[in-house]
Amino acid sequence: MASARPVLRPAPAPAQQPAPVHLSAEGVAVDFDLGGHTQRVLNDIHLKVGKGQLVALVGPSGCGKSTLLRLFAGLMKPSLGKMEVAGLAPAEAARRKLIGVAFQDATLLPWKTALDNAAFLLETADPSLARAEVRQRALHNLHLVGLAGSEGKRPSQLSGGMRQRVAIARALTLDPEVLLLDEPFGALDAITREEMGALLLDIWQRTQKTVLLVTHAFDEAVFLASEIHVMGTGPARIIETIASDLPYPRDAQTYRDPRFAALEARLRELLVKSHKGAT
Amino acid sequence: MITQALPTPRISRALIDITPAILLGLVCLVLWEAAIWLFKVEPYVLPAPSAIALVMIEQFPVLAVAALVTAEEILIGFILSAVTGIAVAIIIARFETFGRALYPLIVLFQNVPKVALAPIFILWFGYDLAPKVLLIVVIAFFPVAIGMLSGLQSVDPSLVSLMRSVGAGPGTILKRVRLPHALPQLMAGLKVAVTLSVIGAIVGEFAGASAGLGYLIQFASTQLETALVFAAILFVSVLGLVFYYVVEMAEQYLIPWAPKFADANNR
Repeated sequence: MASARPVLRPAPAPAQQPAPVHLSAEGVAVDFDLGGHTQRVLNDIHLKVGKGQLVALVGPSGCGKSTLLRLFAGLMKPSLGKMEVAGLAPAEAARRKLIGVAFQDATLLPWKTALDNAAFLLETADPSLARAEVRQRALHNLHLVGLAGSEGKRPSQLSGGMRQRVAIARALTLDPEVLLLDEPFGALDAITREEMGALLLDIWQRTQKTVLLVTHAFDEAVFLASEIHVMGTGPARIIETIASDLPYPRDAQTYRDPRFAALEARLRELLVKSHKGAT
Repeated sequence: MITQALPTPRISRALIDITPAILLGLVCLVLWEAAIWLFKVEPYVLPAPSAIALVMIEQFPVLAVAALVTAEEILIGFILSAVTGIAVAIIIARFETFGRALYPLIVLFQNVPKVALAPIFILWFGYDLAPKVLLIVVIAFFPVAIGMLSGLQSVDPSLVSLMRSVGAGPGTILKRVRLPHALPQLMAGLKVAVTLSVIGAIVGEFAGASAGLGYLIQFASTQLETALVFAAILFVSVLGLVFYYVVEMAEQYLIPWAPKFADANNR
């Protein structure tokens, strides 16, 4: 598979002067209505992600990290606070196709081929676009995620990793400025997960998109992200932000870097602490 | 030999698959025949298979005309059941408030013994096609509606919210995602409905008719022509089988992408 492609150009240098803010949350809280009483699932979230950064959001399951991602995607509204994506309200940014989303489940349409699945969301978002152009863009992105040759296959004929690649291609076909990925590799085996991580780095460096990655895997967060926000439970909030000192481009050698181990250990320590705090 | 090097063709493999069933069936028929002969059973109680076969040949024109009448009832009734069931499911899925009012009523109606409605339909619509078709529809639309509805509603909510977020309205989501997604469950509902349609037609004819296989069964039994009763029952069964396989072929044509029962077994 073509995921371990050589990096064509170096990543944007981790900003000396900070990149302009692309995603922001200020004082965001979310209450879920549980029939009668409300439960606060997110509390006082402050988060800024610079343009072109790849940022990870880690935390134990149930800490509200997926909820935060759905807020940025405009799929739901905060109960309190203010959120912006590219200077717009998230729902408006989504309507303008500035946001591409992928979930843990690929959520493909089983009756469509890989190519049609990749084209599908753009087709829906912009019915005025010529069909040929939509297909051209979908094809380009399928190749970008390493699926050249599988365009005509249906989801049932693809492996889990390949389905996830189609889902990412579908998000990229919108040509968004921001990619929001909700545990996109969570259901994959370890080897495929590493392959997909390398693929994501490659795509990020080629397209320079802002990426927010939700994950519960420390190694994945450390390997990919330039900045890691650690979330804790009870009440769900961001307990620490770690700036990674690992240089880009990153590859298999990165795993052996002593700084990798140090960052992973730091994350583990924080999460164990937050977990104890919760129980 | 060259033929041995070739993979077994599909048809001959299917033949090998059903051979044991055919053999067992033949054995049962022979035992039946032997038992009638051995115990000297009166033909009006239980006719021998050979007697039934003879009646089928002799009375073929009568049986064929009756089968055509019943087939027409089944076909029209089944199509109307499908249309009604699909429409009800779409209305419930698309118009939430109205759906909440409609759904409990439909479930309530499902628990009325439909067969008991047959005399009322006869009273209202006479002895022709209409009461049978109506009876089939009230019996057979329910599995279609339930299958279609659960298909429409089991779309991944993440995908729906993703489509909504790029500006797709409920109509677009229904057309582009929910409807195609519902097809496998719709087809499952249609397969149940088609067998219920056969039952509906026969019951309708029992309640009051002047033609059809159900009418023939009732008429022949009053005349103690039991062999003709069996012949008519066989015709009904074959009719049901044909309708069922037509639906199954439609399924394979409409949704070649759906996982098949056989595939799941082969894995």
